[in-house]
Amino acid sequence: MKISRRDFLKGSATTLFLAGFNLPAFAATSKKKNLVVIMLRGGMDGLCAVPVIGDKNFEKKRKSILIENTIKLNSDFALHPRLKGFNDCWSENTGSIVHATSIPYTQRSHFEGQNLMESGGRVAYQEKTGWVGRALKLAKLQGDGLALSLPMPLLLRGVPKNNNYFPADGKLPREETLELLRSIYAESSEDELLEMMNYIKRRKNEQMMGGTSNRGKRKNKNLAKQAAVYLRKANGPRVAVFEVNGFDTHAAQGGVDGTHTKCLVEMDDIIKNLKTNLKEAYNDTIILTVTEFGRTIKQNGGNGTEHGYGTAIFMAGGLLKKSQVYTDWPGLKRKELYDGRDLNATIDARSVYASAMSTVFNLDFKRIEKEVFWGENLLDLSDKLFKA
Amino acid sequence: MKNFFRKVAFGLKPGEQQPSDPLTWAQKQVETIPELNWKGKYIFSEKEMRKYWIKQRVTEQTTFRKKFKNDPEGLRIAEKQLDNDSGRKFWPNNEICMRHAEGVRGNNPVLAKLWYFWTNHFTISDTQSLAGFSTGAYQREFIRANMDKNFETMAIEGTIAWPMIMHLDNKDNIGPKSESARQEWRRKEKRPATLNENHARELMELHTISPAGGYSQEDVQELAKIMTGWRPKWTKRSDQGTDIRFMSDRHEPGKKTVLGKTYKYGRKSLKIVIKDLVNHPSCREFIATKLCRYFITDNPTKQMIAPVIKAWEQSDGYLPEVHKAVIKVAFEYNDKYKKFQNPENWWLQTINMSGASYAYPVPEKKMDRFKLGYLVSQELREPDWLLEDIGCHPYRSKQPNGYSDISSDWLSTELVIRRLMYAKRAFHTYKLNDQIDDTIHEKIIRTNFDNPDKILKIVSKAKSNEEKHMILFNLPEALRA
Repeated sequence: MKISRRDFLKGSATTLFLAGFNLPAFAATSKKKNLVVIMLRGGMDGLCAVPVIGDKNFEKKRKSILIENTIKLNSDFALHPRLKGFNDCWSENTGSIVHATSIPYTQRSHFEGQNLMESGGRVAYQEKTGWVGRALKLAKLQGDGLALSLPMPLLLRGVPKNNNYFPADGKLPREETLELLRSIYAESSEDELLEMMNYIKRRKNEQMMGGTSNRGKRKNKNLAKQAAVYLRKANGPRVAVFEVNGFDTHAAQGGVDGTHTKCLVEMDDIIKNLKTNLKEAYNDTIILTVTEFGRTIKQNGGNGTEHGYGTAIFMAGGLLKKSQVYTDWPGLKRKELYDGRDLNATIDARSVYASAMSTVFNLDFKRIEKEVFWGENLLDLSDKLFKA
Repeated sequence: MKNFFRKVAFGLKPGEQQPSDPLTWAQKQVETIPELNWKGKYIFSEKEMRKYWIKQRVTEQTTFRKKFKNDPEGLRIAEKQLDNDSGRKFWPNNEICMRHAEGVRGNNPVLAKLWYFWTNHFTISDTQSLAGFSTGAYQREFIRANMDKNFETMAIEGTIAWPMIMHLDNKDNIGPKSESARQEWRRKEKRPATLNENHARELMELHTISPAGGYSQEDVQELAKIMTGWRPKWTKRSDQGTDIRFMSDRHEPGKKTVLGKTYKYGRKSLKIVIKDLVNHPSCREFIATKLCRYFITDNPTKQMIAPVIKAWEQSDGYLPEVHKAVIKVAFEYNDKYKKFQNPENWWLQTINMSGASYAYPVPEKKMDRFKLGYLVSQELREPDWLLEDIGCHPYRSKQPNGYSDISSDWLSTELVIRRLMYAKRAFHTYKLNDQIDDTIHEKIIRTNFDNPDKILKIVSKAKSNEEKHMILFNLPEALRA
């Protein structure tokens, strides 16, 4: 197999180690890069977040839920005015949008769609691992995933030793108690429990429990602050995964103060708080969003929208090449729509994800395509979207 | 030996006499289905629960969509009140109390643990608000009530249960060549009649023969065709809340062939095809493996599964015999294999082993004070919250394949933290005189562990009784059984 230079850096760490190279010194020279994935559950409406400018047909179909006072991004697209955090990234040349994109799933079931956006496959429930987990494994990175949720999301599975953070009520027991349990797990060869207890012990020292007084501790914007603290560390995780729920707005999707906006703002707060709290590490980070599908162009009788297909991906971070709306716009005329009702997807969202991971994990795109996405035909967008 | 009582049930209460013949003790419990231990006044049938579901659904999707078109804040407030009016936040708590009372208060904890297995096998996942209304009742009526019948009965009743049909979209599974497909309104409303394979696939993959049964995509489609027309009728007032029936105008005409066998047109074919699926060798192998995985080890061996399959074959899938067989295998392998307990079973074991003076589940007299239309108090909502918080809510599984029985799926930093926190929580549901009883842990340990002195020595390093609880119930010996 042909191995590229980038691949050589991280991908074959074990081989190098066994061959007797001085790996630690070598690795220390390559900078730690972070990937943050925000999962938008329920179907994010790309045309509400990033509406197209001057399309009369579009405006007519969305009379009551059209967003006003949008921020003009370029001659063709505008930004939802409440996405202030993202707009800051855009102004600083570190915010991008990929539009008219989707995972290759057209069946409109949340369930299957969300399973596939995490597994990266084509058949729902078939895969038991996620595309980030498989890529971490390929890059031989262990203990580098941090989920901001209670169980380990499918997206991160496929590699051992991932950590998670989702604050519980109350305080952890005394240090001595944790140490007692830790030593018992060690003695009885309970390796996985031991791993977890090591994390918990460290967490005790870092006071990462939230405490009962802090009411909003499970709110995404606060989880983002904590995640940034972790990601910033040289020996901290490289991947963080968030979830935002509630994009499924069949009714009262609303305009600028509607339910969909509320969810978008939650996403925006994550980006904003990550950017602020990552500090310099923001320069070595890619933040991106994932959703199962977009929403219908036409509003329904309840001022909401139905499940659609094509949508948008938000990206932020210093590893982005520049601020841009990257798209191969399919148009919104009836015959240009998917099934005559949805924005079409002209870019496989997985091409964007594979390219991002190629950049962050220093892996050859072709290897990701082959080993993470089963050799499916994806497009290498690394040079177009990200810094080398 | 003592871990057997935790392996097939939830351990013994402190000072409880150990049954002299544990195997018979366990096997006897699965012969018949006793009345529920729970004596609260809100025990409704699945059908009765549908009227609350309809209230919620019709109001939300019809009335509210119009009324609060441009008023998200008004919608939010109205939805909150609707939750109170329909009891959405109350019913699941009430059901969890019934479910858990079987485990920690009833005389058949072994049957309860098997009940939890089957509710997970025939999962209703968290969709269409079913968790708030129907899932608990379904688990009593279609799963528990059929545990003294053949698997075939449970499979048929589970398949055409209203919540299952709703949950796996069979209501949208309409024959493309059926009478209904040609109706004018479908063209007008752009609702073409199409197959929905969801339920058919899960019936094979999850409920009966598993992928090892070797079916093709074509088999899935053919089975979906057999299932067309099994659905509730829709009216504006009932919004799919009517009984499941066979609607011949939506049934796909013609013969269908599944796994090489041909089935006739009509309503009778569904029961025949389910009968064939449950009698397929892959079905008994699949379920025997799952049972052994649940009770014994993540990776059951051929030798473990064989007696369960044999019992199935000899009894025609009669569940009490199948259950007795797996209990016997669990008994024989008791010392060799220790199974990591999922969070729900671990919690119930923690409660049960700690004694009888616990305020869990929330007692009947408290649950009975609930009135429709009023806010559900924090105390009554605790069971729901607890299960959500430990990541193992039996009505809120994210996927139709239910919760995993593999240990590693229950290990994340936060899930281990939950066990520390909930062992502490358990301690505080004690009555005060037990909290200050310094001998309580010795009693728990001597009743439930074969190596009490070693465990006592470890636990005695704790500074307080609360801490003893946290350590004891997080020892490998307590996490596994």
